[in-house]
Order: sequence, then C-alpha cells, then structure tokens
Amino acid sequence: MTFTLKIWRQSSPSEQGRFVTYEANDVSPGMSFLEMLDGVNQRLLRSGEEPVAFDQDCREGICGSCALVINGIPHGPDQGITTCQLYMRRFSDGASITIEPWRAKAFPILRDLVVDRSALDRIMQAGGYISVNTGGAVDGNVLLIGKDQAETAMDAASCIGCGACVAACKNASAMLFVAAKVSHLATLPQGRPERARRVNAMLDAMDREGFGSCGNQYECEAVCPKRITVGFIAKLNHEYLRAGIVESGLPNEPESPYAESS
Amino acid sequence: MVRLFAHFQASVGKKMIMALTGLGLAGFVMAHMLGNLQLFEGPHALNSYAAFLRDMPIVLWAVRIGLLSIAVFHIGLALQLGMRNRRARPVEYTVHRYRQASIASRTMAISGMALLVFVGFHLLHLTAGVIDPGFNDRLDAEGHRDVYSKVVHAFQNPFVVLLYLAGQLGLGLHLNHAIASSIQTMGFEHAGLNRLLKALGPVIGLIVVLGNVAIILAVFLGIVR
Repeated sequence: MTFTLKIWRQSSPSEQGRFVTYEANDVSPGMSFLEMLDGVNQRLLRSGEEPVAFDQDCREGICGSCALVINGIPHGPDQGITTCQLYMRRFSDGASITIEPWRAKAFPILRDLVVDRSALDRIMQAGGYISVNTGGAVDGNVLLIGKDQAETAMDAASCIGCGACVAACKNASAMLFVAAKVSHLATLPQGRPERARRVNAMLDAMDREGFGSCGNQYECEAVCPKRITVGFIAKLNHEYLRAGIVESGLPNEPESPYAESS
Repeated sequence: MVRLFAHFQASVGKKMIMALTGLGLAGFVMAHMLGNLQLFEGPHALNSYAAFLRDMPIVLWAVRIGLLSIAVFHIGLALQLGMRNRRARPVEYTVHRYRQASIASRTMAISGMALLVFVGFHLLHLTAGVIDPGFNDRLDAEGHRDVYSKVVHAFQNPFVVLLYLAGQLGLGLHLNHAIASSIQTMGFEHAGLNRLLKALGPVIGLIVVLGNVAIILAVFLGIVR
C-alpha cells in the first residue's frame, strides 16, 4: 500500500510549524500506524533528513504515550484504541492522511508531533492520590468493597492519561481525565476521606493549566481509547457540588491539613 | 457563605451557575408558552390573563427584574467561559472531524446570540410596543387592554412571522442541547434514567417551539382572527 502523509513539522516549541508532505511506500496492511511512520523515518534517516518525532512506548495500548490526530480525529478513525493499535488496513490504498499533534494551550508542542503533557501530571500531583501512613501492609479483605463499586472504580481507573479527551474537545478541556481520576478514588473507601479536598484541588489545577471548560458535546468519550464514559463527568460535577456544600460547613482548614501530626 | 461563593469561582462552578440560570430561563419560556396558548380560548381569556398579570405590578416587576438578572448572569458567564475556552486552543486543527457532537451543541453560541437579538426585538415589539405601537392603548369591551387584537395584528405581517419563526428555530436549537447539558453539569447522572434525561432537551424544546409556532401560524393562516 502507498499513502500520502501530511505531517506537522516543528523543530522546537518556539519555531513556527508547518505541514510537510511525505510518501509512505511498501506499507503492509498488517502494519500499525506507528510502524508505518517508522518506515517513513527510516527513509528520512537514509536520505540524511531529520526524522519525524512522535511519542510512543509500549505499542500495545497501555502506556498512553502515542498521541496523533489522524485526519482530524485523535487516535484515528477506530474507537476504543490508541494510535499504536490502529492498523493500516483501516485506510484505503493511496489515501492521503493528515497527521497533527494534540493541540491545546496546556499541551505545548515540543517537536513535530510530540507535546508536553506534564499538565496532566501536575493535576495528579494536586490531588490524584490518597494519603496513607507508612507501615505494614493492610491485611487482605479488611476493607470490603462491593462488586458494583469495584467495577465502577476500575472503569474510571482504566484512564491511561493519553490526553485524547483534551485533543478532541473543542474547548481543550481535561474534564474527562479529571473526572476519571476523581471518580476512581471517590468510589473507593480509601479515597473517601479526602474527596472534597481532592476534587477542589484537581479542578483548580485544571483551571490553572489553561484547559477549557466542558461543553457536554461528549467528543471526549468518542475518542477515549479506554472508553471512559461521560457519566464520570457528571460524577465529577456531583463531587464538586458536594464539596462546595460540605466544605462551606466545615471549620477553616489549617494551612496544610496533613502537617498537624505531633 | 463567602466560602460557598468562593468555591463556585472555578470554571465548573461557573458552569453550574450557567446551568441553573439557563434552567430558570427555560422554565420561564415554558410558562410563557403555556400562558400565551390562551389565545386559542379567544379575546376574553387572553386579555383577562394579561390584565391579571398587570394587576399585580410588584410581582410582575419582581419577575421581570429577576429574569433580567438571571439572563445577565447567564450571558456574562457564557462570554467569560467562551473566551477562556478559546484561549485553551490557540492553534486550531487543520482537519477537524466531529464524532458525536450534535448540531445543537455545536451552535450554542450562535443560537444563543440569535435568541438575544430575537428577545430584544420581541420585548420592543409586543411587550413595550415601541415597534408597531398601533394597538398599544386599545381597550376591549371589558375595559382590558386588547392584547388579543395586538397579537393578531402582529402575526398577519409576513415579515414579523418570519422573524418570530427564526427566533423559534434558535430557541429550539438552544433548548435541545441546553436541558440535558444542564442536568449533566449539575452532576445528576443515573444509569437507568440516562436515556430519559438525554431526551428531555429535545422533548421540552419541541413542546415549547410547537406551542409558540402554533400561535404564530394560527394567526398567520387566518385560523385565529
């Protein structure tokens, strides 16, 4: 198979980017999208040109590294998969394919198709954890968790943080990401004690990073490789409303609520 | 209380205020449509309904000022969030394809602005009577202001009818996305009720638009005269 690729090239965060057209020849239908790009890069290297930079790691849909907007859709035309799980048989021979990076203010382009997604890490640092005292491991089955709760938490926890939700959203909002993380922990007993503080901290961090707000178009859900549903966004909103009501009734918190151990 | 207000400074909090004010306006639009359907009961019913509303000026003006402030909050927050959302993606995609976003959800800003213009015209036209003041002071047989004749006169003009129908199109589009979206924003979600909740927008939107269009077309086609 042969393809005409229109790829976004940008040599550094400060440079102006542009599209460059490349030909991909001798592509087998069984190749993944990233393997096809590997082939293009091999040819570029042989001819002494700079290869196209793109993020990738596990190549089996778990790590959340690969991040390409293919013909206007993050992770390409198939649903419920990452870019590395997309195969070239999905495209017709001779097709022209446009490849762009995630575009959001919070995801500055580092080079070509590689964006800096550390904004998501900073949201996690703001509240995507539980505070546990160190010591011996807790005995098994001390905390009994119902099947439904466990399943819901697992559905939310399957978020791999790839950022496709941000890329697909017309407002570049990270609501689905934050929703998955907040819902995951708020559903489980381990996450309950900090739930009000967590949702506020993570949403504040989301605003701080320059993500937009949710327009309830549900484009995020359609491109999520882990099929995380927008029901979790409703859950996030619910958590936020609950936190506002609960917190306004609590006494003022000390500077750091966890620094008071004597 | 101060902390409760501070809490809603985040973008999600602003969206919640937008959702609540929007639902308030949607409630008014429903009541407005139902009240106006009394046109079909004849001049007596509509004129005494209008007189009934005007007989309690304090309530009437409280509602009017309430609606105005709700609308100001709704529009103000829409602008604020809209500008924030624009800033969130400084460079647009060269190729962009939607996967499941409805037409209504993509045109919220346009339908909202169209509605604002339409409501402005409507207030000047039928409420304040600045546009086409011919029937403003006419009284009916019982000494009430003759709202009925004013409405019938208004919708015999094809340009007015076109404008109002366009306004209804904007209203229908806006409500179509708005109601289910507000419910989602207020954090209400239920696995069993989701389909019902999603249908609320289109159903309520359709009911309101059909009720209003019935009034406009009934007059225009000479069914009500």
